Amino acid sequence: MASRRRMLLKVIILGDSGVGKTSLMNQYVNRKFSNQYKATIGADFLTKEVQFEDRLFTLQIWDTAGQERFQSLGVAFYRGADCCVLVYDVNVMKSFDNLNNWREEFLIQASPSDPENFPFVVLGNKIDVDGGNSRVVSEKKAKAWCTSKGNIPYFETSAKEGFNVEAAFQCIAKNALKNEPEEEIYLPDTIDVAGGGRQQRSSGCEC
Amino acid sequence: MASDSNSSTSIDAPADQNPNSPDMAEDRLKSLSLNDFDNVVDDEVAYNPEFIEVLNGSLIANYDRRDGSEIVEETQSGQTPHEAGPEVVEEVLESSSGVVWRDNSELEGDAPPSPSSSGYAGERGSSSGTSASGIEEVHEDEIDQAFVPQGDTVDAASDSVSWVPGKRHNDEDDASISWRKRKKHFFMLSHSGKPIYSRYGDEYKLAGFSATLQAIISFVENGYCVGASYPGQCDMRIGVQGTWPVVFLVKGPIYLVCISCTEEPYEALRGQLELIYGQMLLILTKSVNRCFEKNPKFDMTPLLGGTDVVFSSLIHAFSWNPATFLHAYTCLPLSYLTRQAAGAILQDVADSGVLFAILMCKHKVVSLVGAQKASLHPDDMLLLANFVLSSESFRQVKMTSESFSPICLPRYNPMAFLYAYVHYLDVDTYIMLLTTSSDAFYHLKDCRIRIEMVLLKSNVLSEVQRSMLDGGLHVEDLPVDPSPRSGYLSPHLGQDKLATDSSGRCKEAYLGTGGPAGLWHFIYRSIYLDQYISSEFSSPINSSRQQKRLYRAYQKLYASMHERGTAPHKTQFRRDENYAPITLIENFVLMFPKLDLLRNFYYVYVAVLLCWITQDFELYAAFDPLADKHSSWQVLQNWANASLSLLTEYMTEVGGSSLKDFVLAFSLLFNQIHQWGRGDIHACQSVPFHCHPHSSGTWAQDTYPCSF
Repeated sequence: MASRRRMLLKVIILGDSGVGKTSLMNQYVNRKFSNQYKATIGADFLTKEVQFEDRLFTLQIWDTAGQERFQSLGVAFYRGADCCVLVYDVNVMKSFDNLNNWREEFLIQASPSDPENFPFVVLGNKIDVDGGNSRVVSEKKAKAWCTSKGNIPYFETSAKEGFNVEAAFQCIAKNALKNEPEEEIYLPDTIDVAGGGRQQRSSGCEC
Repeated sequence: MASDSNSSTSIDAPADQNPNSPDMAEDRLKSLSLNDFDNVVDDEVAYNPEFIEVLNGSLIANYDRRDGSEIVEETQSGQTPHEAGPEVVEEVLESSSGVVWRDNSELEGDAPPSPSSSGYAGERGSSSGTSASGIEEVHEDEIDQAFVPQGDTVDAASDSVSWVPGKRHNDEDDASISWRKRKKHFFMLSHSGKPIYSRYGDEYKLAGFSATLQAIISFVENGYCVGASYPGQCDMRIGVQGTWPVVFLVKGPIYLVCISCTEEPYEALRGQLELIYGQMLLILTKSVNRCFEKNPKFDMTPLLGGTDVVFSSLIHAFSWNPATFLHAYTCLPLSYLTRQAAGAILQDVADSGVLFAILMCKHKVVSLVGAQKASLHPDDMLLLANFVLSSESFRQVKMTSESFSPICLPRYNPMAFLYAYVHYLDVDTYIMLLTTSSDAFYHLKDCRIRIEMVLLKSNVLSEVQRSMLDGGLHVEDLPVDPSPRSGYLSPHLGQDKLATDSSGRCKEAYLGTGGPAGLWHFIYRSIYLDQYISSEFSSPINSSRQQKRLYRAYQKLYASMHERGTAPHKTQFRRDENYAPITLIENFVLMFPKLDLLRNFYYVYVAVLLCWITQDFELYAAFDPLADKHSSWQVLQNWANASLSLLTEYMTEVGGSSLKDFVLAFSLLFNQIHQWGRGDIHACQSVPFHCHPHSSGTWAQDTYPCSF
């Protein structure tokens, strides 16, 4: 047993299809990039162990499918997330506009206890494309949106070049950790026999 | 930021993986074949000095297998080569017919990376999965069975001693080839997909796999699953040809999953998941649900810290302890007076505010007493005993240590804790006093001292130890000749032991292996008492591997006999369907009956199984298929009739309500059977046979010859 408790952080990656969610994850976990687009079906799951401030924790990354037809899986997927990563393509305005929908959908479906302070991270991906010439969402605009939603940390990344990916996930881990609830003492009840101790005995065989 | 390990799984991954051998499952499912050469395997066990430790003054050594001595059968006698895929490790054995063991160190190397993997490892054929390191890991899969160096003369009880509980293969994750080849996985995870427990591999490293499972389960829960035969359950199978059934159990925010290629029936696997869930409740109670309500992110793993051993030993019990599927417990054979003495002092204590007082010897009950109206479910006893026996801390530091621990009895009240005072009286015998008061330690301590004094004074402890040494009931000791004899059954069950030569008579009646008339093994379960009697294992079912196979066959019978909508009493015979290759040998044996050599060396044992269920009891038995059919039936019939009449007679006498009386009744019965073991056959004959009308018919001769 490790002297310090290990932690598992569930991280959900959301965003329109084709913005590079899987590529970001692949770059982060496997340090690989492929130009070929392969739509995620349902979800992909990756784990990565991370050492952070002397503490070992495991990122359980849920790379979801961006297509709308998979949205019905939402509740099951979002439940119990520690951090949500919103990804958009800086070259596609629509993907940026949709961030708001993704965020709201997540908050509705996951219904975290403190939605105001739920840790999000926004990533503007594909900044490498065309040397930045095809870019349609400015960094300023993106940052403004993030600030308006309660100072969401913002990173500009390139999954292809691996630019800023590590830093972004570092921040994701840090944010997820910050939200860790304080430990409660686990204290179940004790049986009260005086109050008519329950007798739940069945005849033994479950047939 | 440093990264140590990465792994990836995909929700759609299982479908495109698993090149599997389609035919094997069929072969395995129906068969029970017991191989006589298993003791060769035991000989291959290597002695590993690292594992010796001195526990409670007794030397317990853990024997491990030599590297490379992995069990893989060489194909022989008409088996198709693909069945011998090296990665099938143990499971192949269960389909074996005509096999020879051999040291396998080179077989792995020659074996082509054929698509016959029974693992759902997709990369098997294409990657470097056949590398030596993978092989080394795989063979350890066998550790979860007990290996005892002495070879033949091992019974189930001593088998379980040599098995050391604890997590295995912690270094594995779902990317490991070896992990994927493990034949039976158990997982516990939260409804958010966070891992809680995994039988193999590190829970955290399996986070991705755990997420996959959660996604699949939520899919099933949402009703996307077609063909679910049970509400909330999915009869899903993964892998090519659907050879790996996946069994889910959803318990509020906690999901349990079993992925197995052991061909155990669905109901059996589901029952095992229920027990694992029960074991978790025993440690934590159902209050964990509240934690998830408050915080869906809740990570339960730390709450279960240090309990790996408890779960691994429970999972181990699935393959050796019939209590796990019979939902019944078993008693240590003791004379009526001895058990009565133990029961009396426990009752005394129970009257002073103890909810349950239990005296046990390993997993067998010596005596058990509950406060008024409180009764203990056999499953709770199983889980409690498993918890105590597997946790080393309960038996630490000589015999003087006493422990006080909160525990929950899931069948009694899953919501709340009780407190258990546990004290070992000797290496195997321990006393458990359960109370509802968290500050009753000193009271319970006093109770225990009182109990201990009485037990010592009345020689109960020495009787218990003697019974342990004697071992349980052996089929060889069963009476074979039903002819009436002089003698009278006293109410106190013949304290006078008559040295009759029962074993000698058995030999006359049947020259084959096993007990009288080829009876190899039996389990008798009394439904009223929630108790069972099981014979100890003896030749030819010597190795733990064979025992496991037999238990699985019983389990299968149990499941098929307990299917819904079936008649309350019935009989069923089964015979291995891998019969063809054996027929020749059998004919040969029949032609030359004196050629026992042949039997010993080439005969492949295929058991004939019997299951007989009435409203009062269930009987499971395994026979030598070459046994004389008439006499084997006779033996069983005599035995069952006698014990049944004993049981029913005594129960009408006590009115049959309190568990204490049941235990006494059972002790009477067991004592009687034990007396038979000493050759005291006359005792049972003098009892007029009057079993219940509905059960007497089933024993009639006309039902017997069905499928021998």
